[in-house]
Amino acid sequence: MDLGLQGKKAIVVGGARGIGYAVAEILAREGADVAISARGEDSVKDAVAALSRYGTRVVGKPCNVKKADDYKALLEWAIEALEGVDVLIPLSSAGGGMGSEKYWHNAFETDVMGPVRAIEAVIPVMTQRKSGSIVLVATTSALEAMGGPQAYNAMKASLITYGKQLALAHGKDGIRVNVVSPGPIEFEGGNWDMIKGTMEKFYQSQLRQQPMGRLGRPEEVARAIVFLASEAASWCSGSHLVVDGAFTNRTHF
Amino acid sequence: MDQPVTHKPVTWDTSKMDVKRVVDVIRVTPETNTSRTPVDKAPDPELGHDVIPAERYYSEAFMKLEWEHIWTKVWLLGGRADDIPNPGDYICTEIGKESVLIVRQHDGSLRCFPNVCLHRGNRLRPEGIGNAQMFRCMYHHWTYGLDGKIDRLPDLCTFPQGGPPGMTLPSLPVTEWNAFVWFSLNPDVEPFDDYIAPLKDHLEPYHPERMAWKRDVTVEWDCNWKASVDAFNETYHVQGIHPQLQWYLDDVNVQIDCYERHNRYLIPFAAISPRVAMPSTIPPAIDEIMRHAGMDPADYEGRVSDIRRDVQLFKRKHGKAQGKDYSALNDDQLTDDYHYMIFPNVALNVHADDIMMFRQRPHASDPNKMLYDVWVFELVPEGEPWPERVKHRRFKHGERSIGQVLDQDAYNLPTVQAGMKSESFPGLWIGEQELRIRHFHKVLDDYIYGPGQKQPGDM
Repeated sequence: MDLGLQGKKAIVVGGARGIGYAVAEILAREGADVAISARGEDSVKDAVAALSRYGTRVVGKPCNVKKADDYKALLEWAIEALEGVDVLIPLSSAGGGMGSEKYWHNAFETDVMGPVRAIEAVIPVMTQRKSGSIVLVATTSALEAMGGPQAYNAMKASLITYGKQLALAHGKDGIRVNVVSPGPIEFEGGNWDMIKGTMEKFYQSQLRQQPMGRLGRPEEVARAIVFLASEAASWCSGSHLVVDGAFTNRTHF
Repeated sequence: MDQPVTHKPVTWDTSKMDVKRVVDVIRVTPETNTSRTPVDKAPDPELGHDVIPAERYYSEAFMKLEWEHIWTKVWLLGGRADDIPNPGDYICTEIGKESVLIVRQHDGSLRCFPNVCLHRGNRLRPEGIGNAQMFRCMYHHWTYGLDGKIDRLPDLCTFPQGGPPGMTLPSLPVTEWNAFVWFSLNPDVEPFDDYIAPLKDHLEPYHPERMAWKRDVTVEWDCNWKASVDAFNETYHVQGIHPQLQWYLDDVNVQIDCYERHNRYLIPFAAISPRVAMPSTIPPAIDEIMRHAGMDPADYEGRVSDIRRDVQLFKRKHGKAQGKDYSALNDDQLTDDYHYMIFPNVALNVHADDIMMFRQRPHASDPNKMLYDVWVFELVPEGEPWPERVKHRRFKHGERSIGQVLDQDAYNLPTVQAGMKSESFPGLWIGEQELRIRHFHKVLDDYIYGPGQKQPGDM
């Protein structure tokens, strides 16, 4: 199946590690030009170097999504560097945390306004081209109660609603918007890698809840994201795809 | 002080170890050090590569040598000075088959006596702390004053030979240093200051007298006391039995310093081990360090790798307002674990806000058993009430948890003790990261066989 990504231009915010990096890698492998951004200067540099081996144009810059002006400038830079944008996947996250009001601000600024500001930056370009695809990344923690009452879950939940509304509003502009909700994903340097090391029992209890007896891998989510982002998913818009190895209990009618 | 120069106090090649990253730790250097506690890397002693004979961990003959040449010769940790502030307050503590009474005198000084009635050998007091106006034997009521003199010997006239020599309990050397009391079973022991050198400069800046009891636990462990000393004398085991600590401390960039008989290592805390990938979120244990310092981890905008330095700077800036006087400590001491071993049996993790220490005592008769004392003290901020002293608890290995990390430490020790006896195990195969173990056993050898006198074939 041809994903039709050859020559497309994609922006991945939070693309230096984990799911984001896996997304950027598949995009590059499929022939897309990719602009990535992430907090860490070194990690962006390393990721750009690694992604360049696929021979497409790969650029990257560090950016703190919470700094709105820097972030807007970064998005403008990316669109300019790529000479346009066909695909946007904004998935940087402030992560979880309880016990401080600040976590709400962090989650709002990063998990919500991160995507919102990126979308605002790309919509005019995509509208003009009458073509574009956006994939938002929520979480299974938005679908079922997990990890205690916290900003991360609630803020991520808002993306599911917002994604649907965007799809309805921008269908006429040729822009598709979909949402992917991954379950627990494990990779080196990721949260579950740390939890495996620091809270062995909790980690094992997570494994026991997993129908397939393991956690997901970044590329297993990334393939679903890239599919929805690609031309191959031309009739998918406003959808919400749960990619969790059947982890969540709810039935998706 | 804001930009300490990085220097290289680590002797092994960290890049060739089983690591994911090479980390250049920002450290206080001898030039930038502001504390009396030195940070200078002591030259590593040449101690060779021989195996350390396993027999010394289970041999009754070796246990006897230790008793003759170590336990009855050196200075030993008795307890906390603030447990006995008033005349008549005493600490009764045991070492091997012996028990001593350390007693506060009317003039504020301390005296130490064997805890044994000179009549028929009965113990005068059970182990623990208390207050007494006199020590009266529960058997025939021979009664001793706080100074050890026999005040009353019922029916003295029925002892034609008179009372025991001098009508007094023998006096043992005792002293107070740095909030602790120390004693010796050796009447001719060297001066304490000579024995403890050079650690006075090292440990006094921590001001343990500003810290209060937080935990007082004794666990009977099924291993030789030296197996316990060894367990805390290296960081190599972190990757083996404490995987979770790799998101809490740097077990690779460790400075080891061996002195005449004591030694130490310095471990960066609030750091990520180079053995694991750098996480992008703050690990729970480091989150805890930040909160304890008064920081809000949710408000932290720096990188995880910057946290250690930022905690140091934060504590330096805000410590005083929190009633915590860190002025005698350097920046590294505000986060890191300076871990000391005071020969033969005290291990101390000293930190700016607490001390976690272990006293490792031999069993009275069985080389396969020991007593493991866990003492934890916490800084009481100025203006806050001094907390009530915690109660001492005692139990056997495995009966109760002593916390995740110490449970992990304890877990292997009985099987280490069992394995030591295998005919296929000649002894400990020690690496560079375990230099303190080698140093400890060398000091032990010098006490037992005489300096440099240990012969091939000796245990």
